[in-house]
Amino acid sequence: MKADKAERVDAQVNEFDQAMKPVSLWADAWRRLKKNKMAFAGLYIVTFYIVVSMLAPILPIYSYEDQVIAHTNLPPSLRPAGEVMIETRVAYMRKVLKAEARSSFNEKEEAEIAAMKADVAVNPDHKRVYVLGTDNLGRDMLSRTLYGGRISIMIGLVGTITATLVGILLGSIAGYAGGRVDNFIMRFVDILYGLPYMLIVIIMMAVFGKNILNLFVAIALVSWLTLARVVRGQVISLKNAEFVEAARSMGASPARIVFRHLTPNTLGVIVVFATLLVPDFIMSESFLSFLGLGVSAPLASWGSLVSEGANTMELYPWQLLVPAIAMTLFLFAMNFLGDGLRDALDPQSKNRL
Amino acid sequence: MTRYIVRRFLSLIPTMFLIIVFAFAIEHLAPGGPFSSEKKLPPEILANVLAKYHLDESLPKQFLRYMGDMLRGDLGPSFRYKDFTVNQLIGQALPASMLLGGLALIVAVVLGLGVGVIAALKQNSWIDYATMSLAVIGISVPLFVIGPVIKLVLALQLKWLPTSGWIDGRNGWIVLIMPVITLSFPYFASIARLSRASVLEVLRADYIRTARAKGLTEATVVFKHVLKGALLPVISYLGPAFAGIITGTVVVETIFTIPGMGRFYIQAATNRDYTLIMGDVIVFSLILVVMNFVVDVVYGFLDPRISYK
Repeated sequence: MKADKAERVDAQVNEFDQAMKPVSLWADAWRRLKKNKMAFAGLYIVTFYIVVSMLAPILPIYSYEDQVIAHTNLPPSLRPAGEVMIETRVAYMRKVLKAEARSSFNEKEEAEIAAMKADVAVNPDHKRVYVLGTDNLGRDMLSRTLYGGRISIMIGLVGTITATLVGILLGSIAGYAGGRVDNFIMRFVDILYGLPYMLIVIIMMAVFGKNILNLFVAIALVSWLTLARVVRGQVISLKNAEFVEAARSMGASPARIVFRHLTPNTLGVIVVFATLLVPDFIMSESFLSFLGLGVSAPLASWGSLVSEGANTMELYPWQLLVPAIAMTLFLFAMNFLGDGLRDALDPQSKNRL
Repeated sequence: MTRYIVRRFLSLIPTMFLIIVFAFAIEHLAPGGPFSSEKKLPPEILANVLAKYHLDESLPKQFLRYMGDMLRGDLGPSFRYKDFTVNQLIGQALPASMLLGGLALIVAVVLGLGVGVIAALKQNSWIDYATMSLAVIGISVPLFVIGPVIKLVLALQLKWLPTSGWIDGRNGWIVLIMPVITLSFPYFASIARLSRASVLEVLRADYIRTARAKGLTEATVVFKHVLKGALLPVISYLGPAFAGIITGTVVVETIFTIPGMGRFYIQAATNRDYTLIMGDVIVFSLILVVMNFVVDVVYGFLDPRISYK
């Protein structure tokens, strides 16, 4: 299929001798991707998330670590925090009233309400608006979810890039060299595959301490395996193709053949796998953060936010739902985009679902 | 075939050995130790404590001693749970985890396969769309989001089920419902998608057309021919599914406070409870590699195209 296309590009005419515009693999894939509505929606959502995460520091949102003690556990609302605070407090007092079977507030409660109202009138802090509510330390959920996503997405992207580079390097060396080198690299991959790696990652995080770098190294350690296998398979199937022979006969070095001729031809498959690696990475990172072994406070990731939210979900469900929905939407979008790319770049794929 | 099985079985030994070496090395090479976080012990006493647990010996010697004890079935004393050996701790925790993991696996395979096959046979029907939507949710939404959300809805809002706990006098099997749903959902989703895709592919194969052409009933075609072909990808997916379910128990047991291996695992790792963490790793890995071995052998029986050199 690919060789076929290359011929057509050279000739610029089709089999009926009609002049035709050459269509590259990528243009072709783009055309197919545009037809896939779900994948395209995924692309928009992913782009939106990435742009918003990159712009987070200059967006007009509150700091993710600013604690306003008066504003703990406020529900999502478009009104100023002062009003919401009084309302929540009064609603709570009414409940107490009902439980104690009284008909009106006592003096202490009246005084507290009056004090709150007076404070709201003068303190500019109460003019803040928490669109997605606040957490149990009075921090803005919108900003925390945004910054949490920033960390999760960053780990996802950087991890994917590392894993992809390592996978390409080792996979193509194994595939092109063959023989003993291939055997050695692939047995190594097999053994790593057999390891219950998440269990070992948990020990590593617990023992070496939780910081982003450790987290990143621990996850990246094994994520290149699948890609190495895939690239190796592609390289083996291509290494006896005519264009490789041509390059070799012109005296190209093995490194040049591998990285200038073979790897670019496997790029389609690599892109598909890499897209599907991103949600994998984010899930692993969040999994560890959920267990308290990932990023540590005051930093947040989606996983640690979900974990915090799960502790308080009975009373303040938005603290769980906001990060959970933000994360789920992104993972959805990534998966749809990945599936769409697979259909677009590899239309005869057996893995097509 | 027998030779293949034996060889494959023998290959479990180096894998296990490697896992043990790896876990042992990470535990011991990192700074700190099981007694470093407690209040400062006088150096003489600390030396005595270390000597008692042989932590003052060289690493290779400690490793050999550990391996020797382990091969005799003794995983040593816990460093944190006083008066308990690791064998006892694991003995108490393993049944709960096995029950949870086993049920989740059965639910995932049976439901996933069933639903996937039905969806493929009735392609583009509402069943198909519903299944595939559910599958996409299962694949995209992580366990630790599904768990708390299910708990929020079923236990806290609707109050149909108890929030947490394990089977005891007060709670019957009903406590298993939420943990099993949570743990099996992602694998149910993947298996449903996989089996749907592979049934669709098999249905287009020539031998299915032949089967139909020679007048077999639809039921015979599906059960005798389609299913066998469609089963292979699902079986090869079981390996990763085992690994996922084992790590999944760690999260699910944390969410639903189940007294299983998974909850120990995190605590032991953070406490630097050397013997307990090693015991956990060994048990988990043993289950995993043995299951993978079984999958490989079953796969070999089902797919005659695989050659055993």
